[in-house]
Amino acid sequence: MNDAHMEELLSAYLEGGLDESRAADVGRHLASCPDCSLLLEAMKDVREALGALPEVDLSPALLRKLYAIPEKRRFRLVPDFLLRPSLQPVFAGATGLLIFVSFLAFSPGGRTFQKSVNRQLHIGYSKVERLYAKAGSLTDEMGSYKETILGSLKNVKLLKKDGEQ
Amino acid sequence: MLVNAYSRKVFNMAYQFSGSAQEAEDMTQEIFLKLYSSLRKYDFARNFTAWLLTLTKNHLIDEYRRTKWEKTRRDEFNDQVIAQDAFSGPERSLVREENKKLVWESLDRLSPEIRMAVILRDIQGRTYEEIAESQSLPLGTVKSRVNRGRLQLARILKDRQGELT
Repeated sequence: MNDAHMEELLSAYLEGGLDESRAADVGRHLASCPDCSLLLEAMKDVREALGALPEVDLSPALLRKLYAIPEKRRFRLVPDFLLRPSLQPVFAGATGLLIFVSFLAFSPGGRTFQKSVNRQLHIGYSKVERLYAKAGSLTDEMGSYKETILGSLKNVKLLKKDGEQ
Repeated sequence: MLVNAYSRKVFNMAYQFSGSAQEAEDMTQEIFLKLYSSLRKYDFARNFTAWLLTLTKNHLIDEYRRTKWEKTRRDEFNDQVIAQDAFSGPERSLVREENKKLVWESLDRLSPEIRMAVILRDIQGRTYEEIAESQSLPLGTVKSRVNRGRLQLARILKDRQGELT
C-alpha cells in the first residue's frame, strides 16, 4: 500500500468505516510509516478542533430583522431582490447622488453654485481661446522671421560668390 | 416559528463558511428572504431541514462564487467558550486552542465545495447520507470531499506542529 492510497483511506479508518482486512492493512502501514502516522494524528486533531468550534449567538438586531421579514413581505411594495442587504451600499450611493443632483437643480444656493460653475467654465474657455489665438500669431511671426533669415542668408551667399570672382 | 427554529443553524453555517460575522448576518437575511419566497414551492413530502440545508448551501456557494469572499479575511478567531479541560493540563488545553485557531483560519484555503462538506460533516455533525442528499451528490463523492478537506487541514496542522518542534 503506497502513501497516496493510504491517504484516501484515512478518514474511513478514523471513523471505523473499513472492513477488518483493510483496517489491518492500514494499521500495518501506519506502524511502518511515520509520515502517514503523523498525518493521521494531525487529522484526529483537525476533527477534534472542528468539532469544538463553538456556535455563535445571533445579535438581537439580526433577530429583529429576521422577525420583520414576513411582515415586510405582507406589505411589500418592492420585489425581493431589492431588499438584499448586499444592495444597501448601492442604494446609499444612489441616495447621495440624488441629494446632490436635487441640490443643484432645485435649491437657490444650488442655482447660484451652478451659475458660478458655468461662469468659471466660460472664463476657462475664453482663456483657452485667447491662448490659442496667441499661439497662432506666434507661428505667423515665426514664419515671417524665417523668411527674413532665409533672405539674408541668400544675400550672404551671393556676396561671397561675388568676392570669389 | 421558522426564525426561532432555524436562524441559529443558518447563521452559524454562514459564519463557518464565510468566516465573517458581518457577511453571515447579510447572508442569513438573504437566505430567510429566499426561504419565505420559496415556501410555496416546498414539497411537504420532503424533509424540511434537508430542504433548508440545500437552500442555504446553494445560496452560500452561489454568493461565494459571485462575490469571492476569499479576498476578505476571516474574522479573528474568538472562542466564546474557553473551557479548561478538567482532565488535561493547561498545556494540552493551550495546544487545543491553537489548533482550533489554525483550523478556523485555514478553512478559507479549502475550495467552497470541500469547505461546505467539511463544515457539514465535522462542525455540524451531519451524516454522509444527509450531506449527499442535501447536495444531490453520490455518497462516494461526499466522502472523498470530506477526506480531501481533512487531509488539507491536517497537512497545514502537521507543518505548523513541525515548525514549533
